[in-house]
Amino acid sequence: MTMSSVLSLQLLIAALVLGTLYALIALGLNLIYGTMRLLNVAHGEVVMLGGYIAYGMATQFGLNTAYALIPSMLCAALLGLAAYEFVFRPLLKKEQLLARVEANSLIIFFGVAIALQNIAALAFTASPKSYRYLDRVVTIGHASIAEYRLFALGVAGAACIGCMLFFRFSRTGLAIRALLQQRAAAALVGIEADRINRVVFALGFAMAGLAGCLVSLSEPISPFGGFPFTISALVVIILGGLGNLLGSLLGGLILGAVEVYGVALTSSNWRSIIVYSVFVVMLLWRPQGLFSRGAA
Amino acid sequence: MRTSRAVMLAAAALALLAVAAGTGRAEDPVKIGFSASKTGLFANASVTQTNGYDLWAEQVNAAGGLSVAGVKRPVQLISYDDQSNPSMAAEIYEKLITSDKVDLLFSPFGTPNHFSVVPILERYKFPMVGSSAASVRLRELKPGNIWFPTSAFPDRMADVIAQLLQAQNYKTAAILTVQLPFSLELKKFLLPALDKAGIKVLTTADYPADIKDMTPTLTAIKEAAPDAVIGLTFPADSVLYMQQAREIGITAPFQMLSVGPTYAFFQNRFGANANGIVMMGQWSPHQKDWPKAKPFFDAYVAKFHERPEYFDSALAYMSAEITAQAVGRAGLDHDKLRQDISIQTFDTINGPVRFQGVENVTTPTMLMQIQDGEAQIVWPKETASAPFKPKGAWAN
Repeated sequence: MTMSSVLSLQLLIAALVLGTLYALIALGLNLIYGTMRLLNVAHGEVVMLGGYIAYGMATQFGLNTAYALIPSMLCAALLGLAAYEFVFRPLLKKEQLLARVEANSLIIFFGVAIALQNIAALAFTASPKSYRYLDRVVTIGHASIAEYRLFALGVAGAACIGCMLFFRFSRTGLAIRALLQQRAAAALVGIEADRINRVVFALGFAMAGLAGCLVSLSEPISPFGGFPFTISALVVIILGGLGNLLGSLLGGLILGAVEVYGVALTSSNWRSIIVYSVFVVMLLWRPQGLFSRGAA
Repeated sequence: MRTSRAVMLAAAALALLAVAAGTGRAEDPVKIGFSASKTGLFANASVTQTNGYDLWAEQVNAAGGLSVAGVKRPVQLISYDDQSNPSMAAEIYEKLITSDKVDLLFSPFGTPNHFSVVPILERYKFPMVGSSAASVRLRELKPGNIWFPTSAFPDRMADVIAQLLQAQNYKTAAILTVQLPFSLELKKFLLPALDKAGIKVLTTADYPADIKDMTPTLTAIKEAAPDAVIGLTFPADSVLYMQQAREIGITAPFQMLSVGPTYAFFQNRFGANANGIVMMGQWSPHQKDWPKAKPFFDAYVAKFHERPEYFDSALAYMSAEITAQAVGRAGLDHDKLRQDISIQTFDTINGPVRFQGVENVTTPTMLMQIQDGEAQIVWPKETASAPFKPKGAWAN
């Protein structure tokens, strides 16, 4: 591949589209982990749920993906609230369970993942589902790109920026950040953890549902297709720092760039080797993530 | 009087019992066991195979049952989830044979599961017709209890690809290979086959199955400008190719995606842009010499509201047809069944099928092409349902 191709706009857009989507998927996972130390390994399944809602609305009601964004976020948020109310709230209340909550959450979410997979398989069968939306190719400078990829870039970018503004400026957002940084101290200054936990669960799940809508534009949706998204999100938040929201946004963009430019400069054989080497090196060199100070 | 009445009652009861027992025996279902990959890596693909079995069983029962050496009996399918885990598939087949005591077996999903089940068949001398497996290593298996209806053996598929390219006078090719066993095996045979046919390979790229972006790889192929892009793909990466080859503007007149385009979702996703894409072939509803092909297609669509998968659904249904025809003649005795399957010619949705050793020696190895949204057989010429057409421009 020639150097001018490596530096082309085509590759830059490809890296941005991929990176922004990674960032959005990682955001929800990091939010729940960072505030509550609950590792949602069913995150990828929530992404699939969003995809199914977009698919269902497109094929059953003829409504395009733009109309599916809000409903998929709402459904995912409701699922998140239900998971919090019925599973994690009781769990967090019991002191003897609180010490083990991180490990327990892994097992519980694993169960949630399997339940979601099988519900999806019952409702939609296991065969992959796909549909078309904004499928024209447009030209920007020397780059050609399908509209749905630009749509995904725009929506994911806006959602990430929106979340960051929310954490920066709104009262609730600031309270979430306080919890991220100092859980015990936050309670002392009167932050009502229960309410914040609900917001965190709803928002974290909603972002995964939204990401699912966008994923369904480019990939076939299937009940067992969620797990790779959980893995990518984990890689991203390890890169950016557990609990560091801005870090994980940058981590997503970096992973997108590593994936696209790594392949461009070597070959596609090296894709997984490069991606996971970066992951391992990060864990050894900066276990707290690229953008966090001190230990995680 | 009282005694004779009691005797008569007893006799009547006995007669009723005898009738009940008699009809009971005739109506005992024929139990057919298999493992399905309902969860795990193969779950997305395995469902199309299970659908093939379900459709077959429904049709057989609706027609009064399966003829067991002339006596019609209903069929009952017994299946378990092997979680896409070959060692679990082997355990399931052992359980089906020893504990469920099934009368017949259908095959599991995919090459690895087939390989792990064959030793169980050998141990219990239980004959089973295979389905969704393809590898040259299948030929190394001991014949006798396993047969493979597939015609997509990688070495023969490689020759057929080279033949079609040569017939179209294409001189150069690029090869894309997903790092999965079947694709890598196909590539191993494809490189020498293309070389022998005088077709120059300009560039090759292998990539992992979880690849998320192909822009750099496809940009390099566009720069090389080959006559043919041969994608040795699986469904997920075939989708990525379709999206990004169109963006980058790959215009090769021959563009192949070996596995993927025959899945129902592919047509929904790509519509007119799928036209011209070449893929491996096994079966097509448009081949007029196979009178059962179109009715199978129609029945499948009516039941499942989507198209059958042209390999796995068709192979599953064929394997059931072969098993059923053998049982019709030979009954359920394993020795007689083995004998029958080994020598007879079977009338299937894929035309006549006859085995030599483990291999189907009647169905030719084929290539298909999507033309106006339909998968047509385009090679070899004798079996073609339509002539090959160079891929036109991408629709926008």
